[in-house]
Amino acid sequence: MLISKKVEFSAAHICRAPGLSEEENRRIYGEAANPHGHGHNYVVEVAIEGEPDPVTGMILDLKELKQILEDRILSVYDHRLLNREVEAFEHRVPTVENIAIDIWRRICQPVASVTRGRARLFSVRVHETSDLVVEYRGAE
Amino acid sequence: MTVLVSRKYRFPASHRLHSALLSEEENRATYGKCNNPHGHGHDYEVEITVRGAVDEVTGRAVDLAALDRLAEEQILKPLRYRNLNEEVPSFQGVVPTTENLAAELDRRLRAGWGGVFCAGGPVYEKLRIWETERNICEILSAPTATRVGEAPIQEDNG
Repeated sequence: MLISKKVEFSAAHICRAPGLSEEENRRIYGEAANPHGHGHNYVVEVAIEGEPDPVTGMILDLKELKQILEDRILSVYDHRLLNREVEAFEHRVPTVENIAIDIWRRICQPVASVTRGRARLFSVRVHETSDLVVEYRGAE
Repeated sequence: MTVLVSRKYRFPASHRLHSALLSEEENRATYGKCNNPHGHGHDYEVEITVRGAVDEVTGRAVDLAALDRLAEEQILKPLRYRNLNEEVPSFQGVVPTTENLAAELDRRLRAGWGGVFCAGGPVYEKLRIWETERNICEILSAPTATRVGEAPIQEDNG
């Protein structure tokens, strides 16, 4: 069984790969390559897989999940310029793909810990806009 | 690192749900208001999901401009503002239900995929189509997908 929780954060980013020419960056990222940056209201949906506890009827304590999302995602990402203020993007372009992967890495272990291995992170979905979403389910 | 990237597109189109294999009464009972002989329309939303590895340099799993071109050429340009029953040859004799429309879009995407993405590149994973906010059809890309209403496969159980 899967249970999903959504959180939102607002952040700025610049989609430019330092190894590519100005022309290539413009071709690949379009307007998102603007060196001054731009921003989005990101919506993050995390799905946890597990079975309801026979006593509580819950897969996990949602208060604990909320705390993990606040500590590991929102406090790091919300109202930041991702390229300069989030360590994972010092040498990596903060595309929505890479954001999903970084969020997975930040919360995978904490989710396993609070559920003492009874549940696991199943997927991280990051909506950059209403018509673009990326889903990551861990290394395959 | 492999991710699923989904992108949404929209196109308005009209249709009428009516099967030549059913009587007038059966058509009305089956399709209700959608059987109105004058037709009616929807703003369809299509979500294409692609499975791809995130490129180390660009941080992208799929070239979105290329996906946009494919969607434009294969789906949006041929179907936008069309009467599906009368102007789209695939619906001659096939009822343009959301199910059959999903199968048709799936066929079109698969037909055009190789012309835009190279082998070993992003893989077409699935397609979802919203006829309205409440009516959604999802089709997993499979080479054997057939349209509802096509000649059924004869199974020999003997």
